[in-house]
Amino acid sequence: MIALVGPPNSGKTTLFNRLTGLRQKVANYPGVTVEKHLGMVNLDDGRQVSLVDLPGVHGFSARTLDERVTRDVLEGKIEGMRSPDALILIVDVTRLEAQLMLVEPVLDMDLPTLLVLNMVDELEARGGSIDQEALAERLGVDVVRTSARTGRGVEEVLAYLRDLADGDTSVENIERELSNFAGSQPLPVIDAFAARRRLVRSVVQDAGFASPRPSRLTERLDSVFLHKVWGPTIFLAVVLLVFQSIFTWAVPLMDGIDWMVGTSGDWIAAALPDTWYRSLIVDGVWAGVGSVIIFLPQILVLFLFLGILEDSGYMARAAVIADRTMYRVGLQGRAFLPLLSGYACAVPAILAARTIEDERDRLATIFVTPFMTCSARLPVYAILIAAFIPNKPVLGPIMNQQAATLLGLYGLGVVAAIGTAFLLKRTLLKASPTSFLMELPPYRIPDPRTLLLRLLDRSKIFLRRAGRIIFAVTIVLWVLTQFPRTEGGPPDIEQSALGTIGHVIEPVIEPLGFDWRIGIGIVTSLAAREVIVGTLGTIYGVEEADEESFALQEILRRDLEPGAAIGLLVFFAFALQCMSTVAVMRRETAGWKWPALQFFYMLLLGYLGAFISFRIF
Amino acid sequence: MQLPTVAEKAHIEDLRLGDVPMQQEVELVSIDLPMELAEPLLERGVLPGCRICPVQSSPGGDPVVSVDGSLLALRRETADCLCVRLVSSFQDVG
Ligand SMILES: Nc1nc2c(ncn2[C@@H]2O[C@H](COP(=O)(O)OP(=O)(O)O)[C@@H](O)[C@H]2O)c(=O)[nH]1
Repeated sequence: MIALVGPPNSGKTTLFNRLTGLRQKVANYPGVTVEKHLGMVNLDDGRQVSLVDLPGVHGFSARTLDERVTRDVLEGKIEGMRSPDALILIVDVTRLEAQLMLVEPVLDMDLPTLLVLNMVDELEARGGSIDQEALAERLGVDVVRTSARTGRGVEEVLAYLRDLADGDTSVENIERELSNFAGSQPLPVIDAFAARRRLVRSVVQDAGFASPRPSRLTERLDSVFLHKVWGPTIFLAVVLLVFQSIFTWAVPLMDGIDWMVGTSGDWIAAALPDTWYRSLIVDGVWAGVGSVIIFLPQILVLFLFLGILEDSGYMARAAVIADRTMYRVGLQGRAFLPLLSGYACAVPAILAARTIEDERDRLATIFVTPFMTCSARLPVYAILIAAFIPNKPVLGPIMNQQAATLLGLYGLGVVAAIGTAFLLKRTLLKASPTSFLMELPPYRIPDPRTLLLRLLDRSKIFLRRAGRIIFAVTIVLWVLTQFPRTEGGPPDIEQSALGTIGHVIEPVIEPLGFDWRIGIGIVTSLAAREVIVGTLGTIYGVEEADEESFALQEILRRDLEPGAAIGLLVFFAFALQCMSTVAVMRRETAGWKWPALQFFYMLLLGYLGAFISFRIF
Repeated sequence: MQLPTVAEKAHIEDLRLGDVPMQQEVELVSIDLPMELAEPLLERGVLPGCRICPVQSSPGGDPVVSVDGSLLALRRETADCLCVRLVSSFQDVG
């Protein structure tokens, strides 16, 4: 196995995709959710080499999750994973000096190493140059120059892999003056860095490195994107565009999927014999899984946008602009991306927070991320708002009460997130002042290949994770409605095991104006929020219950007081009704403490919110 | 630009990155931060002796600096903890 290491933004992913194409999969390292990208490289003689793409790091101080994992993989400390046989170290050659800071710790691993100088195209375009042979000689490793984006030099990387597979380990025999350099006694950290720095400087000089001119384009774009007036204006426009894309452009696709799931469900129903398991398959499994797939377009559109923003270099600027404001509430600029992603789904958003180096900042961020109005809340909001909020104008023709309510619910989430972050940073996550450091990569045209592969990745993860949970829940739910049997047939809902559960929790939710039916809905939607719509449909015996179902709206209006309905909306705005999020939180924080705290905190907020709403309205 | 006179020296040793005007290249003298916060800077090549040049200011007034051909965005608070000194222009050329 060969490992690919390098600083962030050096083109690691691009090279990995070039080498492996579609022969890759994403998994998680045991115990942590740092994504493990594994791929197979086909050599031209038919042999295969496995390649693992490690998270981008600047060093191995193990300050961040990514750094810890990278180091553990390199040292073979990950369970069930051999230590790599060789390394490919990739750096952005346009910033050779800073990037080579990683070279010494990597060479210290004493593994055969190939140094890939990526982005030569940019180096040359901006008038820089490097003597690759001299560098190879000086460092005692093989060096190739590539442009991962255009594919130039990738052949040479493959040739190196072929030599390795041939067992040609001559690379190891070259005397490495670097390895001895650190000496025997440990240096104070700052001196160690300074020594490493001096070394890098002399290496770079010996290799005749001429640094490129600064990128004119980047300078010019930054003077606009970070401008006092234009900067924030463009920032807001971008955020609005992302929202617009989630809520309008994804809708036709979602309708299409909805229709396909419905129609294919009918086909399956027609094809199956009329026995006990037909309703399980059609109404349970099929509809349940369908209710998850329907969010896929939103997630894809969101990630396409975020991918473009990130690869183009804008996201780093957005983080800088957001930092001041976020800092005031106890977060930081890097939290901007996860929080924005949270409007589609908290699960990938929580994963996106890994780029936050400061552990306390990261915890605070992922703690408040589920307050962002994720798309799973929308079906719940939609049916309750349609049933209870009149369609009367508030602000003249601009907005009606329904839209205002929806906006209010979004606002409620934001307020809760801000308040919670503020509170956390003054209590549990109190810290000496943190810092914020953001590297601003040059602006680039995003690479469609990389974008596409990442989208594929994301959708696979989403479907697997969400699909499994919904699948399990629907089966359990269905079973609970089938027992205890009365006269050989399924019981009335109220007499079923599910009904009993509803009655058991009724006293707890009575102060909120909810009866046992809503109780069941709340319990089942613990798995995933949108499940409540289908559950209520089942309980009330409404066929084809979805958020546009008039029949369900009618019944809800009859059964629920308006105050309780608003309470239910508020409950869903706050409560962490999502097992996927809890599961992801557990892995990201390596324990139950944070997810448990988050779950009960949000539940309490939801309960209080619903209680107050019920009293007021 | 002139070399600092002895009289100015005390003042210059107090110069912080946060006070440096745009496009004025300076040399980092020391990092006045706890290790935990300094390390990310060190890893990115921001070490005593390196050349830093503020090139942009974010809308919130935080500096963007250029170091070794990389652009780094810092907080004002961090920039105020980086002691720097001016580099004379002939050294710049040489
Ligand atoms: N000009 C140029 N851009 C590249 C090259 N390789 C990658 N990129 C771009 O650099 C950016 C970062 O690449 P990525 O592979 O995501 O970097 P990673 O963070 O190291 O995985 C993307 O916008 C790529 O399209 C290259 O050889 N030349």
